[in-house]
Amino acid sequence: MRTVAIFSEADRESLHVRQADEAFCVGPGPVPRSYLNIPNIISTALITGCDAIHPGYGFLAENARFAQICADHGLTFIGPKPGVIAAMGDKATAKRVMREAGVATTPGTDILESVDDALHAGEEIGYPVLLKATAGGGGKGMRAVENPHEMERAFTSATAEAEASFKDGRVYMEKLIIDPRHIEVQVLGDEFGNVVTFGERDCSVQKPSHQKLIEESPAPHLSDAARSSLLDMAVRACKHVHYSNAGTLEFLVSGHDVYFMEMNTRIQVEHPVTEMVYSVDLVKEQIRIAAGEPLGYAQHDLQLRGHAIECRINAEDAYNNFAPQAGALTKVVFPGGPGVRVDTHVFSGAAVPPYYDSMIAKVIAFGASREAAIARMERALRETVVEGVSTTIDYCLEILATPQFREGRYDIGFLPRMLAHALT
Amino acid sequence: MSDEHPLPPVARRVRALAQLLAGTDLLRLRIEREGEEIELGRRALHPDLVPEIPHDLGAIETKPVRADQIRADLVGIFHLSRPAPAEGDLLENDRELAFIEALGIRNPVRSRGPGRIVTVKRGEGEPVEYGAVLFEIDRG
Repeated sequence: MRTVAIFSEADRESLHVRQADEAFCVGPGPVPRSYLNIPNIISTALITGCDAIHPGYGFLAENARFAQICADHGLTFIGPKPGVIAAMGDKATAKRVMREAGVATTPGTDILESVDDALHAGEEIGYPVLLKATAGGGGKGMRAVENPHEMERAFTSATAEAEASFKDGRVYMEKLIIDPRHIEVQVLGDEFGNVVTFGERDCSVQKPSHQKLIEESPAPHLSDAARSSLLDMAVRACKHVHYSNAGTLEFLVSGHDVYFMEMNTRIQVEHPVTEMVYSVDLVKEQIRIAAGEPLGYAQHDLQLRGHAIECRINAEDAYNNFAPQAGALTKVVFPGGPGVRVDTHVFSGAAVPPYYDSMIAKVIAFGASREAAIARMERALRETVVEGVSTTIDYCLEILATPQFREGRYDIGFLPRMLAHALT
Repeated sequence: MSDEHPLPPVARRVRALAQLLAGTDLLRLRIEREGEEIELGRRALHPDLVPEIPHDLGAIETKPVRADQIRADLVGIFHLSRPAPAEGDLLENDRELAFIEALGIRNPVRSRGPGRIVTVKRGEGEPVEYGAVLFEIDRG
């Protein structure tokens, strides 16, 4: 299978450009003129003779219009059908669809048209609330609002960030559930109505911006009953909308309560932990499904083995409110060995441009047990060298060393509390 | 040097650079700016020799090294317009030189003013990416 990579001028030296069979520059550094430049992306695919486009997990990955444009030009979009993306990728619509499927959802609203709408909704739902981008992901366009006085500023900044990140500034509101666990389910569906789950991931270690930092599979201390309930809801939801290709259903788990939060109709950043414990290549499965092949296996064929953890290595100053860093990476050494995997686009001498998400690598560790995976991750992170910019490596090691993480007893408030404690 | 015939700007720049070079132990000095390159060097490698500052700087010419580049601002297939522009062609005014076909749309590539075509960098039917250099034009 031959590949064509697209890149911006800022990413000209990126590894994906070097490793693809062909590569085309689609615009300058700023996202709207390059990675959101649909005409240049489609044109690249057509003139290079591509059959399909894999949208990755950012930018246009959940853009139903882009998926439709691909179809209109005879290109296979490697992901769900445009109508399903529109239904499930639009977060506000997805919640309505889930309620129709009998899945419990976080109390919330449809799209909010104005600050006044948001204020009214906040009063109805009851503070604190969370504003979220309907086309969003990765914590972008998300703002917690504690009281009405914060609403106008939060609404304005959430919509602006959503517009800049996804070309869709619409936001909706949810009840902010205090310190739940964020547990998500990986699904794969084919064009023949078959749906399987690949277990769950615990993604509760999140920065105050709600962006994930550490993910693991399986989720520690999740009861069999809760797991069964999550997986059952995920399958029911996917079959209700005739879902095909890869996706993730995200839930908030608070005690015995489980709420559907949203569905990401794409491959996720943290998909490697699932690949490690299920010995599956999810991206390969995406391509097979997009090519019209059936899954070829049933749920009982899938066996979880061991435990996997992922740490995101971001070009950020974790000790300064995770301020993003840009600059030249003067030295980069990644770890290796059994059970260690690194996904990255950088190398010694690479530049970290200021235009994009700060993640520069993912380090994934697998072990026969959770304890073994933690030990392997700690060793891997200590062997990782990134010089030239500040990174989250040391901060991830700090998190891994905490009793809360080692015992697997943490929620999405864990990291904000840890940060707040460090400031006092 | 007489002030009755003021030096052209380029000559003044050369003189200033020559004086700068003379005051250092540098062997060579090269300045590039805005399509103009000036290079000065000592006539001998002996560090005691001071480069001779030319008296008649009026005849000094600088030759533009980097021609104006016309780049693609989108991704598509490059087509030369008719009549096909060729290297050496003089352009009296702004004119269409080529077009980039993208998604069935014809996107003109214009010379953006008069000049002389130094180089045609792409061939007929060649795929071009954003930023690809299409023409180099000497604005004279």
